[in-house]
Amino acid sequence: MASSLSPPEKASYHHRHSKRYSSSSTNGNVESSVSDFVKRPKISPQNYISCSEIESEFSHHDPDFARINNGSFGCCPSSILALQRDWQLRFLRQPDRFYFDELKPKISDSRSVIKRLINAEHDDEVSIVDNATTAAAIVLQQTAWAFREGRFDKGDAVVMLHYAYGSVKKSVEAYVTRSGGHVIEVQLPFPVNSADEIIDRFRIGLESGKANGRRVRLALIDHVTSMPSVVIPIKELVKICRREGVDQVFVDAAHGIGCVDVDMKEIGADFYTSNLHKWFFAPPSVAFLYCRKSSNGGGGVADLHHPVVSNEYGNGLAVESSWVGTRDYSAQLVVPSILEFVNRFEGGIDGIKKRNHESVVEMGHMLVKSWGTQLGCPPEMCASMIMVGLPVCLGVSSDSDVLKLRTFLREKFRIEIPIYFRPPGDGEIDPITGYVRISFQVYNKPEDYHRLRDAINELVRDGFRCASLSG
Amino acid sequence: MASSLSPPEEASYHHRHTKRYNTSSSSTTNGIVESSVSDFVKRPKISHPNYISSSEIESEFSHHDPDFARINNGSFGCCPSSILALQRDWQLRFLRQPDRFYFDELKPKISDSRSVIKRLINAEHDDEVSIVDNATTAAAIVLQQTAWAFREGRFDKGDAVVMLHYAYGSVKKSVEAYVTRSGGHVIEVQLPFPVISADEIIDRFRIGLESGKANGRRVRLALIDHVTSMPSVVIPIKELVKICRREGVDQVFVDAAHGIGCVDVDMKEIGADFYTSNLHKWFFAPPSVAFLYCRKSSNGGVADLHHPVVSNEYGNGLAVESSWVGTRDYSAQLVVPSILEFVNRFEGGIDGIKKRNHVSVVEMGQMLVKSWGTQLGCPPEMCASMIMVGLPVCLGVSSESDVLKLRTFLREKFRIEIPIYFRPPGDGEIDPITGYVRISFQVYNKPEDYHRLRDAINGLVRDGFKCTSLSC
Repeated sequence: MASSLSPPEKASYHHRHSKRYSSSSTNGNVESSVSDFVKRPKISPQNYISCSEIESEFSHHDPDFARINNGSFGCCPSSILALQRDWQLRFLRQPDRFYFDELKPKISDSRSVIKRLINAEHDDEVSIVDNATTAAAIVLQQTAWAFREGRFDKGDAVVMLHYAYGSVKKSVEAYVTRSGGHVIEVQLPFPVNSADEIIDRFRIGLESGKANGRRVRLALIDHVTSMPSVVIPIKELVKICRREGVDQVFVDAAHGIGCVDVDMKEIGADFYTSNLHKWFFAPPSVAFLYCRKSSNGGGGVADLHHPVVSNEYGNGLAVESSWVGTRDYSAQLVVPSILEFVNRFEGGIDGIKKRNHESVVEMGHMLVKSWGTQLGCPPEMCASMIMVGLPVCLGVSSDSDVLKLRTFLREKFRIEIPIYFRPPGDGEIDPITGYVRISFQVYNKPEDYHRLRDAINELVRDGFRCASLSG
Repeated sequence: MASSLSPPEEASYHHRHTKRYNTSSSSTTNGIVESSVSDFVKRPKISHPNYISSSEIESEFSHHDPDFARINNGSFGCCPSSILALQRDWQLRFLRQPDRFYFDELKPKISDSRSVIKRLINAEHDDEVSIVDNATTAAAIVLQQTAWAFREGRFDKGDAVVMLHYAYGSVKKSVEAYVTRSGGHVIEVQLPFPVISADEIIDRFRIGLESGKANGRRVRLALIDHVTSMPSVVIPIKELVKICRREGVDQVFVDAAHGIGCVDVDMKEIGADFYTSNLHKWFFAPPSVAFLYCRKSSNGGVADLHHPVVSNEYGNGLAVESSWVGTRDYSAQLVVPSILEFVNRFEGGIDGIKKRNHVSVVEMGQMLVKSWGTQLGCPPEMCASMIMVGLPVCLGVSSESDVLKLRTFLREKFRIEIPIYFRPPGDGEIDPITGYVRISFQVYNKPEDYHRLRDAINGLVRDGFKCTSLSC
């Protein structure tokens, strides 16, 4: 089923990684020292995936492109795509039998794998949905019903980050604002210098949520913001929420599994969603929504429902989500196979995370040095994506500029990179107003980032200005 | 991209169809008069070189399990391998460079699919056509709007929603989840089965509507199936829509899960406010894709419908909202124009397929009735490409559990896939037929599929089989 692979290449993969190990720590874990690493034999263990196998797995990517935006749409190796097709054909071959005999047990298998990966307590706590956007709709619809049915008072608050994802903001408008909730957006600084800045601003935001005797019914917090991208200290924020009596905490970790540490017991949120197709190599698309079983005697879960109601309505969100009418469920069915795939890498998904982090920081530093700019956050506040300032002379001055510049980089340089417009603050002199968000995933190579470095440097040399791009 | 196909076979396909036209030269389908046999015979017997051949059809469905008599197209539909191949192409296009695909291709291509559907269903504007995953999703969209209206006080608590008792299970749950929960009063119209004529349905519906309006209530929504699922009958929806208009029902929503490719789907003719149909059941789409039609009112407005999965497109109209519900595999939606090309390889296109499927399923139904000594569940003109056929009474079907077990038994022992309906005995009935199979006919079916069913059931009858003998 998998594409044919070339024999493992010995030194190349490990050699590149030994260079990466010599830099900073990730998420508080102390890196093996270089000397420790050097003592290990340089021949890669026969079991680990090789460089050429990795290339083969992603050979369906457009080879012309420097694809440095894994964060937006993720990636899926061809061996997983092949397995996905197998599942599709299994259904098409005899759909009734598949529906009656295989679908539910196989989705349960996928849920079990996810439950173990995220350290949830019960399989019941894990529902599989299409994407984080769907998960947000599920949680927020519950909030809307609570307002409409009088369990929440009109004007009770929902607190979210100003940098929340656009679709999630719209979902809050569609469900919370519409049903009478008061929405508070917590402004966060960017660039950000420390986790404390975020924690302080969040605390202030919560307090204003509680002003005038209001209850804060829901705190909606990103684990990793999208644009600009920063890792949010959610463990601390969840603790603050508990102290301040917030009813429910919902962590939106669209960039979650495979990007940051995703441990439900550690994090302690009521709801947590993460896509699997961004950083966990799933085909488009599949995500999980974790819903904590309450610790009170009832052992119940919040009354969440999938908005696409099927005959499974009332059997719990996980079961409701496992059947939302005739669909292609194949992306959900390959999840156990994906675990096998990531375990072909040294350290499994944790090893991949660690190496991606180190690489993206290394590449970020390389760009900053070449462009004379800065990172958008300290290295320890990023995971596998980092914001890198663009040279001021390019004249980025609006959201429209960054979109046009992005298109220009795509069309002229075959570089795929999202760009963030950071409005100048009061009193700032010549601030950096454009930041690229670079991602690093196992298929990326330093050349991808060299191309970006050189393209920007060329534009600077040519006196390029964003204003010159047609609308 | 398509799988390699063998050269057209001349006489076989047309010959089979000539036989079908012989048996049903007198019946009509949806009011259309069949060509007479003599008309047909005058046409040359050499198959038109452009039309798909029998062996090409077999090739297109060669991924189906060859052991099975697959007579249940109604549940999950089918998709030809050439369309599956095109779907994979779309999937790979996205995977190759997803950002570029998202920015440059996705929206225009979904618009193309919407345009094709709009023409197929005779809608007025592309805006009226939204593409969603399936009819179940479409139902949630319409009913969520109803729930907001109750919650926001535009509808009064206790205002009614009228639906058919035979509405699909998931739709009933959706009505409970959205309408009942938000204060609406739900009325289920009981319909007879077996059904003798469209008038029976029309009369019962009128009565149901009247009870909806009792006590000064308004009927805010009528939710009517175009073709019920179990038991399956074609509902005279044009008449029912007219009655709804006369009786001042606010909105009419037609659930045509079995719609396009099964019955005539003409939005202007039918006149409903909302109409949904799956494309993967009878229109050869991969799983899954459906459309939700929302009529623009004469002042150009549309009802305030939203996709429940809210994205950054919120507020740009349902069609645009539905075109982006987060990162997904949209490939099933993108192949729709290619499907139109596929069906046009058949004589008469989708209309020809519909007509021949109807003629064939009636022929097969009558064959089974004759062999088993039972009856059809409705007159032939009240079915489309599915029909209910009574099972011999001696099999002892006496519960929902029996039909599920019998279905499993037929699947596992005989490799026959067929859904079975339990029809509870009515008061005073002597030895009524309590089990009906729902047979479907689609282009890949052959008479042998139905002969196998006929013979399997006859075998069970001869063996003195009783449903009670089946273990759980």
